[in-house]
Amino acid sequence: MMAKRKKGLLLLVLSVFTLSFPNKEALAQPTLKIGAIPDQNPEHLNRLYKLLSNELSKELKVPVRYIPVISYPAAVSAFRTGSLDLVWFGGLTGVQARAQKPNAKVIAQRDVDARFHSVFIANKSSGIPVLRNKHGLTTLKGKRFTFGSASSTSGRLMPQHFLQQAGIETTDFKGGQAGFSGSHYATIALVSSGSYDAGALNAIVWAENLKSKRLNLSNVKVIWKTPAYVDYHWLAQPNLDKTFGQGFTNKIRDTLLGFSNKSKSQAKILELFGAKNFIPAKASQYNDIERIGRQLGKVR
Amino acid sequence: MIRIRPALPILVLLPSLAVIPVLFEIGSSLHNGGIKILIKFFSAAFQPSLDSVVIQSSLRGLQITIATALISWAISILLGVSLGIVSSRIVWETFKSPNWISTLIRRFLAIPRSIHELVWGLLLLQVFGLSPWIAIVAISIPHSAMLARVLSDQLDALDQRALIAFKHGGVNPFSALITALLPQIIPILASCCGYRLECALRSATLLGVFGMGGIGVELQLTLQSLEFNEMWTALWMLGIVMIAIERAISFWRIRLLSSIQAQKQILIFLGAMFFVVVIGLIWLQQLDLDLLAVIQFHSIKFPSFIAIKDSILMLPLIELISKTLLITLLASGIAIGLPPLGMLFWQTRNSIELQSYIWSILRLIPPPLTALLLLLCTNPSVSVAALALGIHNIGVMGRFLKEGISNQDNNLFDAMIASGSSQQLAWLYGNLSVQSKSYLAYAAYRTDVLLRETAVVGVVGGVGLGWQLQESLSSFDWGQVTTITIVYSTLTLIGESFSDKLSEYLQRSKPNRLLRVVA
Repeated sequence: MMAKRKKGLLLLVLSVFTLSFPNKEALAQPTLKIGAIPDQNPEHLNRLYKLLSNELSKELKVPVRYIPVISYPAAVSAFRTGSLDLVWFGGLTGVQARAQKPNAKVIAQRDVDARFHSVFIANKSSGIPVLRNKHGLTTLKGKRFTFGSASSTSGRLMPQHFLQQAGIETTDFKGGQAGFSGSHYATIALVSSGSYDAGALNAIVWAENLKSKRLNLSNVKVIWKTPAYVDYHWLAQPNLDKTFGQGFTNKIRDTLLGFSNKSKSQAKILELFGAKNFIPAKASQYNDIERIGRQLGKVR
Repeated sequence: MIRIRPALPILVLLPSLAVIPVLFEIGSSLHNGGIKILIKFFSAAFQPSLDSVVIQSSLRGLQITIATALISWAISILLGVSLGIVSSRIVWETFKSPNWISTLIRRFLAIPRSIHELVWGLLLLQVFGLSPWIAIVAISIPHSAMLARVLSDQLDALDQRALIAFKHGGVNPFSALITALLPQIIPILASCCGYRLECALRSATLLGVFGMGGIGVELQLTLQSLEFNEMWTALWMLGIVMIAIERAISFWRIRLLSSIQAQKQILIFLGAMFFVVVIGLIWLQQLDLDLLAVIQFHSIKFPSFIAIKDSILMLPLIELISKTLLITLLASGIAIGLPPLGMLFWQTRNSIELQSYIWSILRLIPPPLTALLLLLCTNPSVSVAALALGIHNIGVMGRFLKEGISNQDNNLFDAMIASGSSQQLAWLYGNLSVQSKSYLAYAAYRTDVLLRETAVVGVVGGVGLGWQLQESLSSFDWGQVTTITIVYSTLTLIGESFSDKLSEYLQRSKPNRLLRVVA
């Protein structure tokens, strides 16, 4: 009796198991696998990813699958192994991905990415004055200083580059090292609390906070805004035309560049990315980032 | 002359001294600059976001995380129990085989254990590309090795008098082991396996970032943008699941222990693990995760000897190692010493139950979040890192201690109460001293978990090996990654041979001898 019941259960489980796997035909058509970690409120896109994958699928006429690769080193590695076809990378991570996958194609960036900035902020009671130029960064010597996340272009790479140009190494900060708050928002919170005297972050996230007043900014001031550099961009695998048909890579570019606020779903997607629209981008724009990345040991 | 040896229960309490320098350093730079954000965080606990998009996404994430956890849990139990048995000293001794075999296996298992599951995940990703299997395998490898370690430690710490008697009586080794050790190990095994499910849940939460998604992605992203209300939606869900798991396991444990057929039940349980794997896989497939996607092998370039040599010269290894050891030592002191101290001095009627809820909360909140919260009201220092890790692990050690004490019989405690001893003294010498060996054996293992966990507290400043490992991984500097991994494995091996010595020492000392210190 017992044994019979168990056998029945096993059969049931096995049949559900086989039923739950898709049949071969559905697998035949190649799927475009995409990933993205935006700089502002990335959780929103992660929840509403279907908006993006449906829109791309509608325009490109292929199945599109969003894969939540949330860690940048993982996204770069997944791009190297070809597990992701199209990824929204930061300036540094995009360069890292191209270093590991030569001939990958830079597709597009946001209107704001062509001239991106970081801001250095300081706690008002730290006694750090507003700086006139990058040489003023020397006042940060001996202060407690935090970057954002380790792979961030605006929260780490470029700030570290400008510090280095001013003659400051990370070992010159109080405690002999800089902190890594983990995100732009955490940098604001920690500098505002006074636990860190100063920090550097993405200028757009700063501006958004000024507007939304979500974090209390009364204790914090901007001490310096960096010169412009290029940041986020869409990067595609080199071989997409072979998999999806001639001209597919260009079709992706045209689709992204065509996103406009006239369409409701496209407007929402642009909002999730913090963009007015996407504009064309070239690999050569990122040469400086690559050089700086190599200099600081972040690109090999 | 009476030679004074440290009493076992004192050895258990002593590590809590680590709290003094830590609180001193943190207290000396305490400020109220971040108080508003802290209040926002805690009040958000009572106003989790009820937005339907957030709830739907969190619920789906929760299912992915639970299914992943169940699969990896079951796999790591099956592997871990087998490996635990073959790496136990007693087992080999009973079969009259040389001792070094068990030592060799144990040392070998230290390597998979010394590598954090996030690092395993990233390494597997390099070779196999994205797949849900990455997370499952990345969790199963270190978890099996950990369970093997805990199990073999516990086996070797068992009371061996019965086993010796059987052996001298000429009973065949297999039956002797089963009869003498199985009844003793079952409650410990049940407790460990139950706890492993919770660990698997936490690891599955972490590993969601590798393309599976899950509740951990919600947590990480909302932490990044400091959306506390939405973060609490995920935290509450995870907390409810954790407590439900704990209750279910302890219900099963109590039933198991009261049943005469415990041995049969353990076999059924191990059999059920296969079922769990199948059900978990079906669940994941239903959640639209592509389990059947073809896995391709990708070649990787191994770092050259020169790259490794360069990184040894480049990295400030001595500083990294000493800071890591300092954080580990302080954090493990806090984690090992405080739970018994709390239980000793706070013994009113419902307080143990209350403490166990507090421990659940401490285990629930991930260390990077704790570090950020602490850092809102004090300046960055090694102590913040140590306290953040220590706080999280108090929850783990407290749970182990409570279960251990509830598993043992209360005779000694009752006898001491009956003879007029105070509640506290009776608990100290009646309950804690009996539990000490097992607790310390577990503490030794926990210390090497802490060694790896230093990876998650970069927020206090790039301190320690764990942080350097993340930095090297995010620079794709495989020479450095290799070097740090070797250092980690070496530290783990040294720690292990030290803890082996400690457990041999504990094995020799008898709890009652220790009363002398107070006498």
